[in-house]
Amino acid sequence: MEQLAVKMQQITKIFGGVKANDAVNFSLRRGSIHGLLGENGAGKTTLMNVLYGLYQQEEGTIEINGHEEKISSPIKAISLGIGMVHQHFMLARPLTVVENVMLGKKSRRGILLDTKQTAEELKALSDRYHMGIDPYSKIWQLSVGEQQRVEILSAIYLGAQILILDEPTAVLTPQETEIFFDTLRKMRSDGKSIILITHKLEEIISIVDEVTVLRGGKCVGSKLVDDSVTKDELTRMMVGRDVLFNFPPVTKAPGGVRMKMENLSAVNDKGVTALKNFSLDLREGEIVGLAGVDGNGQKELCEVLTGLRPNSGGRMLLDGEDITAQNPLFYIRHHISHIPEDRHATGLAMNWSLKNNLILKRLDQAPVAKHHLVQGKVVDELWQKAQSEYQIKAISGDDEARNLSGGNQQKVILAREIDSDPRVLIANQPTRGLDVGAAEYVRSKILEARNGGTSCLLISADMEELLQLSDRIAVIYGGELMGILPRGTDPLTIGSLMMGKRLEGAEA
Amino acid sequence: MKNKLVRNAGREVFGTVLMVIVALLIGAILVVLSDNQPGEAYSTMLRGAFGSTQKITELFVKLTPTLIMALGVSVAFRAQLWNIGAEGQFIMGSICSMVVALYLPVPIPLRMVIAFAAAVVAGGLWAGLAGWLKTRFNANEVITTLMFNYIANYLLLYLINGPMQDPYSDLSQTDLIPDGMRLAKLIGTYRLHAGIFLMLLVVLIMIFFWRTTLGYRINLVGQGEKVATYSGIHVKQTVVVTMCISGAFSGLAGFIETFGINYRLLDGIAGDAGNIATIVALLGSLNVYGIIAAAMFFSVLLCGGASMQRMTDVPYSVVDVIQGLIIILVIAKDTAMARLNTWFGKLFARKEKEHVE
Repeated sequence: MEQLAVKMQQITKIFGGVKANDAVNFSLRRGSIHGLLGENGAGKTTLMNVLYGLYQQEEGTIEINGHEEKISSPIKAISLGIGMVHQHFMLARPLTVVENVMLGKKSRRGILLDTKQTAEELKALSDRYHMGIDPYSKIWQLSVGEQQRVEILSAIYLGAQILILDEPTAVLTPQETEIFFDTLRKMRSDGKSIILITHKLEEIISIVDEVTVLRGGKCVGSKLVDDSVTKDELTRMMVGRDVLFNFPPVTKAPGGVRMKMENLSAVNDKGVTALKNFSLDLREGEIVGLAGVDGNGQKELCEVLTGLRPNSGGRMLLDGEDITAQNPLFYIRHHISHIPEDRHATGLAMNWSLKNNLILKRLDQAPVAKHHLVQGKVVDELWQKAQSEYQIKAISGDDEARNLSGGNQQKVILAREIDSDPRVLIANQPTRGLDVGAAEYVRSKILEARNGGTSCLLISADMEELLQLSDRIAVIYGGELMGILPRGTDPLTIGSLMMGKRLEGAEA
Repeated sequence: MKNKLVRNAGREVFGTVLMVIVALLIGAILVVLSDNQPGEAYSTMLRGAFGSTQKITELFVKLTPTLIMALGVSVAFRAQLWNIGAEGQFIMGSICSMVVALYLPVPIPLRMVIAFAAAVVAGGLWAGLAGWLKTRFNANEVITTLMFNYIANYLLLYLINGPMQDPYSDLSQTDLIPDGMRLAKLIGTYRLHAGIFLMLLVVLIMIFFWRTTLGYRINLVGQGEKVATYSGIHVKQTVVVTMCISGAFSGLAGFIETFGINYRLLDGIAGDAGNIATIVALLGSLNVYGIIAAAMFFSVLLCGGASMQRMTDVPYSVVDVIQGLIIILVIAKDTAMARLNTWFGKLFARKEKEHVE
C-alpha cells in the first residue's frame, strides 16, 4: 500500500462565523504532484495555511506520513518537512536573499553566522534549478517573479519534503513554466510531494497527477488526472457553470496614434538602467499587449508613463503634446489611467472605505469636491453606480477595502480607472491572482474600454490573456523592445522574443 | 447593512471603554494595597471633579488645552506622522505670543491679534521644521519632535532667567501682560476664561476638517506613500503641511494658557500637557468625538486625582499609574479584543455543539 504524505480529514476552519473550510478532506500521495483547484475565496489557501500551521483548525485531524500531528506553528510544520510558498511573499524586504533564508535556520557556526557557506549552497541550488538568483541581492530590489523564486529556493533549501506552492507560475513565461515544471518533476522523482494551488487549468492537465477541487469552502471532489480529464469538466467542478473562454472578435479598426513613446529610458531602484530606448505607439481604440518575463522593465515603463518614476531619456507625446517628466497629478488630469501591478500597496488604500477608494484621484475635482469639501452625497452616488455596474460584492460602500476578495478589490480599481473616461489605460497584470470568473470580467471591461476608443497598454504574464485581447503584441526583454507582433502570432514565437531574441526586419 | 457598521463602531467604543475600566480596576487594587477604600477614593475623585460649580469650571480649564492639543496631535497621527512634540510646540507658541504682548509697541487690540497669530505660526513652524527634516533628510519625526521639546524648554528657561526676566523680581518668570490683553473671565473670579470659545471653534473646525480635500489627503498619506503618490498627492509637501497644522494647534493652546491662566511665562508652563495630549488622541482612536470623550475623561482624572490626594490618604501617583496603564492597554486593545472574540466564539461554538448533541 502506498503511504499518504498528508491526510487531512474533516477540516473545518471558521473566520468570524463564516466557514472558510467546511469538513474538507484532502489526501496527498507521497511522491506525487497534487493540484488544489478552486476560485478565489474557495478556501484553498486557508486549507493550506492550516496544514502549514499558520491557522489552527476548529475541527478535523491532520496526519503526516501516517502519524497524527498537531501543527501548532510554521516552525512545527517545517520540522515535519512541510514548506510553503505564499502568493503574497513572506520575505523581509530590507534583507538579502541569503539572510532571509537564514532567518529560518540555525547557524552551523555556533554564535557566528554561516552566511558565506549558505550563500554558496543557495547559489548551487539556484543554478541547478535555473533560477538565476544572486544570494546577496536585497529582496526589495527584486521583481515579483524573482521574489517568488527566492521563496521556492528557500523552502527547498530548508529541506521541505512536502512543498505547498500557492500560484507559483503566475509570473513565469511559457518557457520558464516548462523549466519550472521539469524541476517539479525532478523533485517528484526524488520522492518529494508537491501541492500546487492554482486556478490555471492548463497546469492541472499538463503536470498534476491528482486534483482536488474546492468550491465555497467545501470539497467538490478529487480525481486522478489522465487523458480523459478535460478543461470543461474541471471548470464545471470549480465554478459550477460554464465559462466563456473566447471573446468575440474585434471588428472596429484602431484609429490614429494617441500616445507616442520615443526612446524612453529609465533606471530601476538599484540605479541600473531598466528601460533602454523604448519606443512604442498606442493608437486610439487599440490594445497593445506587452509580453515579457517579469522584471524586464515593465514596472519601470508603467511608472514612467504615469509620472511615478523619472525618465532618464526620451520623450512621450499624447495627441502630439509633449507630456514627458510631469508629476503623477498631471497624468491623472490628462486621463491616463493606471491599473497598478501591486493592488495592495499602490492601487488601493486598504484601510479606507470602498467609496473613498473610488475618489482617490479626484479629491479636488468637481463634482467630488466643492469649495474644498468632499461631497458625501456625490461619493455615495458614485459608489451606488459603480457597485451595480461593476458587480462589486460588498456589504456597503463603507466597508474597508481590505475586507474584499482580490477580484472585488480589482473591480473597485477598474471602476475608478475606467469610469474616469481614460484616453490611455495602462493595465499592469490586471488579472494576476484573480479567479476565472473575475479575470474574465476584468478582460471584458478592458475590451469595453478599447471599443470606447481608449488606447490600452496591457502588461501580462498570462500568454493566453495577451493572445485573446491584444491587437498587437510588443515584447520587452532587458528593458528593450524586441519587436512588435501582429494578432494571432504563435505563442512560441512570442516566447522566443521574451527570451531575448530580436525580431528581424522592421516593426510590424 | 448599516447595522454592521454601527456594530463595528460599537465594538471600537466598547473595546476602549473596557480598557479604561480595566485600568481603573487595577488602580483600585493599588488603592486597596495602600490600605484605602477604592470606592471612597474614586467617589472622592468624582466629587473633586464635579462637586461644585467651581470644580466644574476647573474641569473646563483643564479640558481646553488638553482637547486642543490632542486634536492637533491627531492630525499628524492620521498621516502616520508621530508628532510627540506637542509640548515644544506649546512652549514656542507661548514664547512668541508673549514676546509680542510684552514688547510690540502697537495698540492693545492689534497686539492681541498679532500675539494670537504669532503663537499659531510659531507652533506650526516648530512642528513643520521637523516635517521638513523628515522629507529632506529622512530624519525620524519621533526623534526630532522629542528633541525639539528640549530645545524649546531650554530656550524658555534662558529667556525667563535672562533677557525676558521680570526686571522687578528675582523669580524665574517674565513680567505680567497688560490687563487688557488677558482673556476675559466668564464666571466671577473663577479661572474659567474666554479661551473655551476658541476650544469650541477648534472642535467645529476639526469636525469639518476631515471632510475637506486637505483632510482626505492627509489621511491618504497615512495609508502609505505608494498609494498616496499614485493618487497624485505631493507626499513631501503634504507631510510638511500636516506637521504645520498639527503644531499650530499646540501653539494655540500655548497662547490660551498664557493669556487665560498664567499671564506670564514661567518654568514648566506646558506641564505634562504634551504627553497627555498624545494619550488622549490615541485613546480617542484619532476620531474627533472619541478625542472629546477621552479629553473629558482625562480632565476628570487629573482634576479629581488632585482632590483625591488632598482628601484621602491615596497618593496622586495612582493617577499616574492609571495613565500609564491606559497607554499600555490602548496599544494592546486590538490584540486583546481579537483574543476575546475568538475566546467567546469558541465558547459559543461549543455550546451550540452541545445543543445539537
